[in-house]
Amino acid sequence: MAGSNEINLSECKRIVPLNTWILISNFKLSYNLLRRPDGTFNRDLAEFLERKVPANTIPVDGVFSFDIVEKSTNLLNRVYRSAPENEAQWGIIELEKPLSTEVVVPVIVFFHGGSFTHSSANSAIYDTFCRRLVKLCKVVVVSVNYRRSPEHRYPCAYDDSWSALKWVSSRPWLQSGKESNVHIYLAGDSSGGNIAHHVAVRAAKSGLKVLGNILLHPMFGGQKRTESEKRLDGKYFVTLQDRDWYWRAYLPEEENRDHPACNIFGPRGESLEGLDFPKSLVVVAGFDLIQDWQLAYVEGLGRAGHDVKLLYLKQATIGFYFLPNNDHFYTLMEEIKKFVNSNCL
Amino acid sequence: MLRPSRSLTRYLPSFPLAQHLLLHCLYRKLLPIMGPYDSGAMTASSSSPGTSPSNFDGLLAGAGYIWRSSDLQKVAQRLECLENVVVTSPSDVSHLAVDGVIHHNPSVEASWVDSLLSELIPLVPGSESCSAAAFSDPHSAGGSSSPCSSLNPAAVIATCTDQSTNQHQHQSQQPLTVVCTDAEEDSGIRLVHALMTCAGLVQRGDLSLAGSLVEEMKALLTRINTGRGIGKVAGHFVDALGRRLYQRVRVSVTGVGFEHEILYHHFYEACPYLKFAHFTANQAILEAFHGHDCVHVIDLSLMQGLQWPPLIQALALRPGGPPLIKITGVGPPSQDGRDSLKEIGLKLADLARSINVRFSFQGIVAFRLEDVKPWMLQVSRNEALAVNSIMQLHRLLWSGSSLDLVLGWIRNFNPNILTIVEQEANHNQSQFSDRFTEALHYYSTLFDSLEACHLQPHKALAEMFVQREISNIVCCEGSARVERHEPLRKWRARLVDAGFRPLNLGSDVFKQASMLLTLFSAEGFSVEEDEGCLTLGWHSRPLIAASAWQAELQGNSQV
Repeated sequence: MAGSNEINLSECKRIVPLNTWILISNFKLSYNLLRRPDGTFNRDLAEFLERKVPANTIPVDGVFSFDIVEKSTNLLNRVYRSAPENEAQWGIIELEKPLSTEVVVPVIVFFHGGSFTHSSANSAIYDTFCRRLVKLCKVVVVSVNYRRSPEHRYPCAYDDSWSALKWVSSRPWLQSGKESNVHIYLAGDSSGGNIAHHVAVRAAKSGLKVLGNILLHPMFGGQKRTESEKRLDGKYFVTLQDRDWYWRAYLPEEENRDHPACNIFGPRGESLEGLDFPKSLVVVAGFDLIQDWQLAYVEGLGRAGHDVKLLYLKQATIGFYFLPNNDHFYTLMEEIKKFVNSNCL
Repeated sequence: MLRPSRSLTRYLPSFPLAQHLLLHCLYRKLLPIMGPYDSGAMTASSSSPGTSPSNFDGLLAGAGYIWRSSDLQKVAQRLECLENVVVTSPSDVSHLAVDGVIHHNPSVEASWVDSLLSELIPLVPGSESCSAAAFSDPHSAGGSSSPCSSLNPAAVIATCTDQSTNQHQHQSQQPLTVVCTDAEEDSGIRLVHALMTCAGLVQRGDLSLAGSLVEEMKALLTRINTGRGIGKVAGHFVDALGRRLYQRVRVSVTGVGFEHEILYHHFYEACPYLKFAHFTANQAILEAFHGHDCVHVIDLSLMQGLQWPPLIQALALRPGGPPLIKITGVGPPSQDGRDSLKEIGLKLADLARSINVRFSFQGIVAFRLEDVKPWMLQVSRNEALAVNSIMQLHRLLWSGSSLDLVLGWIRNFNPNILTIVEQEANHNQSQFSDRFTEALHYYSTLFDSLEACHLQPHKALAEMFVQREISNIVCCEGSARVERHEPLRKWRARLVDAGFRPLNLGSDVFKQASMLLTLFSAEGFSVEEDEGCLTLGWHSRPLIAASAWQAELQGNSQV
């Protein structure tokens, strides 16, 4: 078994393409340097190292983006849309007319990953991912900048994301279809997946209609160590030690990992039975050490009577979707496309 | 009519900067004369990875990491190395990470990982033996971006001629191109076209049209990143052209003075060219001084005397003990009343004293090398003499007689060795547009190599140093234009004419220079041998050449 603070990068070399390996290893190594053992985080260095890209209203490859500051939280949301057919329309941000009055255009509210601590909506990797989502799945994406830990702990990420969802649902220019509704799906990877779940719960309780949840290897956990955690610790870019660090940075100070934010169906989890919870697509990577928690989540949703589809990608590591150089990426995009377009008229 | 520089076909650039020029020249070959305003029609198709001229991994570029595909294996190995190091001493590492990045822009290729690695490896014992296990990549043949590994003219011509038929044909699995790269590629190429056209206009005397083109180019510059790559070099050339056209007062003779010395020092630190020059010359001088008890070095431009401490040390360590060393340094008068030559002499003397070497120094103050009279140099009959010229002789080329004069008295001294280092470039051609084109290529390559340097403020000031050379070449004429670089083959002819014969620098010097390079520099530099001379270049384009000479024996030589 790998030592608790060792990342054995060589194991995963055979599984992923070279450039993916380099990309993710680079992240993991730099993140290692940013996390301090005392639980604090070198935010300035992190911001300095982070590759960010600006929004671009001139379409590139058929997708354009623009940033909007949401007044209630003062946080930036980045909106991604397909380029209009008419070139004369390029560069114009349409904030009056709906997306369409004929067809339904799904709007995915996306919560980026980063274990609640890293990345932003304008991180290059997430910006690129959102663009690909728009292009391949024919959706509109709103990527949310939520406040991050350890500076802002639970429940800030959920509060900010809930605000963003309310904001999205009330934008007339995100409406589509004959009945002029905003057709919302929630999506997120890693911590973003965790956020998507909790926001969906709040939405269900508040009567705000969410059509579906897409959770990409969501970040869940619990006090006990599961079999997959022990087996895969340190083997594929991620260690238990760093997972623990991020939970300690996010959860309230005196809490442990059975806190309901972390352990959804654990001893302190709340019941979801009877809630008008959206259908879920949960994607699990076969080499993700926390898969047992993700699989437990899927089971838990099923037991509570909710519609959940599991996409288990056996040979995938975390972050497989950052670069479109593997089959998993395309499988994922296909599944998402089917998921969001299935109940369109 | 512009023609592509001959050097293009010899030195195939594999860098985006230099490639813009290659593309430009090939466009010129393929298409009829372009007016200055129809450069909009040319767009390089950078979306299909197979013919991407940039060689960078397109997918990683989309994630914000600029790495050449050919470098990925190496980067992977270094990451593994770094991981090992990080695990063994995490506390050292995080502090260094902070320090390291202050000097480094993380968006530049060669990444902060490299700079971090180079700082960490010496610190952590046992980390030198990083296992560089072969990295098998089962997916390399697969769908990842696979840009051509080396750009050859055929591929580029194919790109050019396919322009009309291959408009942005995307397959469904095309990776998304990065926004800025696309726009930049386009603007970059337009800028190069405009620069060449402007040079042609200046040469023809069509100055008002040239002036409006300069305005257009300034506008183009606002659309691209002028912090690096084509934007940076083009920016300098556009500036220089502007100054040539609009400045009433010609820039006075550059390349002298306190400021120049400071910039020179930073250029020395930022990149290996001067280190190579000094090292190679010193090795040759050391060999020439073998067996002599009294040695005298005449440095035609002392600057800050950076070259001499290693020579003094090497002479101190030679078997049989050090000789008596005399150094004569030529330099311009100081502007602030200090005797800077003397100060440097004192420092050198201090060093010599500390290692028990008998040493004397004399400083010769001269604004121009032509003003130095041989008797000032106090060359004596019993000593072994080395005359050393680092990038000085070309300054004499503005007047035929100046070079003859100086070479004449050097030859009359019959030195044991004359070491010459010069920029390997053809910037002294009579036609302005030819010079301009040459310079654009040369300095693009030079700036490309500077990108590999991460030391600040050395890099920024080194760039200023280089920028002044560019200004001089573009703006000045007559005696004010001192940067009259000529390539090795021309120097060979001149020196032979002046009564010198070449000395072979020897394979030892070559090996040692190569080794020095691997110790001190980034990947991409290469030392090459050229008929007994050594050159240092960037990716097979030599940028600086070192050679050694002796006076040809004559009937009445004074030995």
